[in-house]
Amino acid sequence: MKKSSFIFLIFAAASLFAVHAQAQVVIIANNSVRDTSASKADIRDVFMGASSNLKSGSHVVPILLKGGAAHVEFLVLFIGRSDAGFQSNWKSQVFSGQCSMPRSVDSEKAMVEYVESTPGAVGYVLKTTPHDGVKTLTIQ
Amino acid sequence: MTAFAQGAGDQNLQIHGFATQALVYTNNNNYLGMDTNSGSTAWTEAAVNVNDQVTSKLRAGVQFHYTRLGIFGGDNISVDWALGDYKVNRWVGVRAGKVKMRWGLYNDTQDYDPGYLWSLLPETIYGVDYRATDLSQLGAEVYGRVPLGEHLGKLSYSAWWGDYFVATNDGIMEDFNESGLNFTNTPWGKTPGFDLRWQTPVKGLMVGGSLMAYDAKGNLTNGTYFQPLAYWPAYYAKYDYKKLTLSGQYTKLIQYQTVTITGSAPSSSGIDNPAWFAMAEYHATDKLQVGAYYTRLWDAPLPNPVLPEDYFHEWVSSSRYDINSNFYAKLEGHYIDGTGSGYYGFNNPNGLKPRTGVLVGKVGFTF
Repeated sequence: MKKSSFIFLIFAAASLFAVHAQAQVVIIANNSVRDTSASKADIRDVFMGASSNLKSGSHVVPILLKGGAAHVEFLVLFIGRSDAGFQSNWKSQVFSGQCSMPRSVDSEKAMVEYVESTPGAVGYVLKTTPHDGVKTLTIQ
Repeated sequence: MTAFAQGAGDQNLQIHGFATQALVYTNNNNYLGMDTNSGSTAWTEAAVNVNDQVTSKLRAGVQFHYTRLGIFGGDNISVDWALGDYKVNRWVGVRAGKVKMRWGLYNDTQDYDPGYLWSLLPETIYGVDYRATDLSQLGAEVYGRVPLGEHLGKLSYSAWWGDYFVATNDGIMEDFNESGLNFTNTPWGKTPGFDLRWQTPVKGLMVGGSLMAYDAKGNLTNGTYFQPLAYWPAYYAKYDYKKLTLSGQYTKLIQYQTVTITGSAPSSSGIDNPAWFAMAEYHATDKLQVGAYYTRLWDAPLPNPVLPEDYFHEWVSSSRYDINSNFYAKLEGHYIDGTGSGYYGFNNPNGLKPRTGVLVGKVGFTF
């Protein structure tokens, strides 16, 4: 392989990686949530049922998508578990009497509408999904 | 059915459930109260729960559980938990009613089969034939989670105090019966305890400690039974790294009892049994998990290593396949050395062989 072809391939691979690494999912919150940012660990704690507050002390309630690209990417970026593992974690808590299952919605549009109208609600959608009326949390 | 489609209406009122059916085969001794030598399907479990999120701080719920494990469990449906749960603030919550006891890595989740890879949790600590008594208490629990600062992680705690009753149809009562203690009432007592678990600053590493204490008293057909406060501490750790989970737990049960037969002097005896396990689990794919564990119990105050009844060592390899988000199947093999746990005289009338192989297949459904 020529040296120039090899360098081109490396740049192409790096570009693909960069596109993949750029998160397409954003974390949205009702405007009542005082925080403007959160760490990945904070988001993971909230969506795994380990915490119901963000750094400011705001009480938050996680809202889930039932499936789709945003849900899959959210699990990869923030939870680090498969959907089966994610559900299993929640159900273990439900079946041991620790909590109820979080509310889930069918679509990203429904997610935005629910988060917008519910104090404390926190959810996730693709960056390209219109989400005026809710705040976007910066991930540190 | 999608993952979270089971919530009713406004999703404040939710109903969930599961059911499993097992096939168990052993090549030597009959195991866990079943006639496993000829292959047994006598292990069925199911549960259904209802939760109502009354307000953002108040929840009420109940779970009914059915277990049939050979001669144990039977057709009675038990209340697994039934509670009110009030979240006082971000650090403190209170549950009251019949409440699960959070002890060690698995006590509060051990009767939810879809929640873990294994078909059988380590018999030395979480014996499926012994678990019914230790699952819940009638009283209150204070729980919460406290951040320890930017670089020190987080601490979860649970402390409880309540009454408990010895399950009348599981292995504990069968062991009493086989040792000649026949109760005319259900033995019961107090059970205080706590659990502390620290999510360390090391990503994926959690360490914890628990203590379950309990006393017991009961009336025998020919006397009385009294057990002063027994102590059962547990120390455990769990480490998640990508698709791999490593965990382990060490426990030591310290329990003494006094039996007074009418017309005789009181007779005391005790146990001081250490047990531990080490586990490794790996998510090979999104649907397939595999794993193995080793566990060991010394079942005598001064165990004799040449007497199989004094110990129980077990090697286990396991796999689980999630067919979809509702259905799953498990397959597991065990090699057991020693007879210190899980065996009963009533279905091993010719005595026990020192070693037994076990094969367990399971299918389950959860919603």
